[in-house]
Amino acid sequence: MNQPAIQVLGAGKRYVKYDDTPMLVSRIARLRSHTSRSSFWAVRDATFDVARGEVLGIVGSNGSGKSTLLRMLAGVTAPTEGRVSVMGRIAPLIAVGVGFHPELTGRENVYVNGTVLGLTRRQIDDRFDEMVEFAELKSFIDTPVKFYSSGMFVRLGFAVSVVSDPDVLIVDEVLSVGDIAFQLKCIDRMAEIQKSGATIVVVSHNMGAIRNLCSRTVVLHNGVLRHDGNTEEAISLYHELLSEDRELDEQPGSPTPLAGERAIDLRAHIEKFELVDHLGQPTRHVDAEKEVTFLIDARLIAPADGPIVFFSVTNSSGFRVYGDSTGWRNSTSYRGGDVLHAAIRLKMRLAPGTYSCDVLIVTSDGVPMTPRVPSILVYAAGRNTVTGVADLQAAIEVERHSPIRGEISDAPRHETTRVFP
Amino acid sequence: MTTTGRSTPILVLDGEITPVRVLARDVWRSRDLLAVLARKEFFVRYRRASFGLVWAIGIPLVQALVLAVVLRHFVKFQTPASYPVFVFSGVSAWNFFSTGISTATSSIVDNRDISTKIYFPRSVFPSMTVLSGLYGLALTAVLLVILNAAYGTPPGIDTLILIPAIALNLVLTLTAGLVLAALQVYFRDVKFLVQAGLIAWFYLTPVFYPLHSVGSISAWLRANPVTGVVELFRLATVGADPGWIVAVWWSLAWSAALFVVATVLYRRFDRSFADLL
Repeated sequence: MNQPAIQVLGAGKRYVKYDDTPMLVSRIARLRSHTSRSSFWAVRDATFDVARGEVLGIVGSNGSGKSTLLRMLAGVTAPTEGRVSVMGRIAPLIAVGVGFHPELTGRENVYVNGTVLGLTRRQIDDRFDEMVEFAELKSFIDTPVKFYSSGMFVRLGFAVSVVSDPDVLIVDEVLSVGDIAFQLKCIDRMAEIQKSGATIVVVSHNMGAIRNLCSRTVVLHNGVLRHDGNTEEAISLYHELLSEDRELDEQPGSPTPLAGERAIDLRAHIEKFELVDHLGQPTRHVDAEKEVTFLIDARLIAPADGPIVFFSVTNSSGFRVYGDSTGWRNSTSYRGGDVLHAAIRLKMRLAPGTYSCDVLIVTSDGVPMTPRVPSILVYAAGRNTVTGVADLQAAIEVERHSPIRGEISDAPRHETTRVFP
Repeated sequence: MTTTGRSTPILVLDGEITPVRVLARDVWRSRDLLAVLARKEFFVRYRRASFGLVWAIGIPLVQALVLAVVLRHFVKFQTPASYPVFVFSGVSAWNFFSTGISTATSSIVDNRDISTKIYFPRSVFPSMTVLSGLYGLALTAVLLVILNAAYGTPPGIDTLILIPAIALNLVLTLTAGLVLAALQVYFRDVKFLVQAGLIAWFYLTPVFYPLHSVGSISAWLRANPVTGVVELFRLATVGADPGWIVAVWWSLAWSAALFVVATVLYRRFDRSFADLL
């Protein structure tokens, strides 16, 4: 009984990369003696267990091997080395509506899709009404799905997967489909599935979803398992690795300005740009209520009078959330060889999400004086109720008044939903 | 643990090769799925058409009629009065085979949406397209019997030969389809080779001419795997070529060989087809 639902033991997958599609005719005719190909490991030496009833998150940047790992868990592809074992019926919630045929009605598709997911006809009969109700498609169930809107299509696909009561549910980046109401319904249902003892594996780039759903998270990077455990730490590491990848991308950048970028007056190099928490520990997972500090060290190579330090925070859709600078207050003169040290202390009172933080040092004339430094990507773990961008710390008070007239009722009961300092 | 009473399926993957025993077990377990998918394929194919199922038998009928009329007027074969039935029996067998292998060839690749996301034995895809043709073949066989009766041969004990005839056609098409579908995943030009090959193959199969009319090359034509199937259809209706037994043996031998090749291919690639899609 205590056997884990999923066991991955030293699993690795090697893919062969072809530069051109192999063709039988050319192979037979020996037009080319060898098709040029090379192999690479998409995942290497992954080992972890998932207990029954656990919700495991898998995060990693694009190309980190998440999809390959998921394919192995779904049994679609076998590991080249090592071993993967999964107990029970697996339902992938990947690109829902897989196998739906546009000419068939909703009802027919439910039966086909249910069978594909490994249900017997009897089991589908038993769950049919619940599936239709969940999808909110009662009056359209006998309409060919080609007449469905994309939302209806997705809802039906979801309903079949989710109501099929799988032992292992694999969720890949699908929480972003459907409207908010339906998404919440799916999350509720997933919680129910989990309570009934099923195991759930969630893959997402949405750290908010990972944080809400997963008790444990693994981080994959370039096919290697970098972290297995605490979700907050996983999210922090994920952002660190994202920044690292960006640095690598930007490495070959020369000091010549990019098109559209202002020319720089090179006077200093930023040697350090770091983020530490209130205990002085490096972090990428920022609690909205705790103070964090960005530390900057810039070494001057030429004199500068009154340099200005700019700091900005941008959200994932490229919107500048916040920007501030030292203004003209700092009139200190620097000589070549001096070090400018800056500490930016703040509380990131933002809606939960990933933010990009940048620093820029300009001369008193407003011309950038250092080459660009890579942004720091952070996950702001704000309050879950906050949407939008900023957390304005509203105190929302809700009161109930008795509707009975002509009566002096007891003192109205106050029900304060939330009060914030 | 859920108390469904059914044993919990356990998936264990420890290498890209699927043992034949596991492969056979998985295929056996997915028989319900295969039936549901084959039925779906068939209904989807004819749903949009206004006459629906009529097309399933209409197409071979038109094909046989055209062949019979054209050939009777331009080429003179020594055929009995029931020449249209003769052609129709050949066309019924041939059509199942040719549509079966051409749809099966691209079936794994065409269903990449499913096959890269969820596992069931990959042999289900070619099998479902081949099986979906069985509905049409059964209807065509009924029409063949009626047509034969209309030309003066009422159904008798010989008519029952249609059952092994259909079975042989199914086995041959299935094994060939399995092999071609697996090859198509790797070599994307197999589809075109099949299309081109079928055009020539049609003339190398005694669909509209009797085997004995081609003289010395008839021995070669008997080695054609489809010849045995066609001859069995004839045996059940208008009478077969004297050498039909040899042709049937050839068909069986081909099927067995293709089955072995298919087993080897799916054992090696069943769990890694998705990597190539």
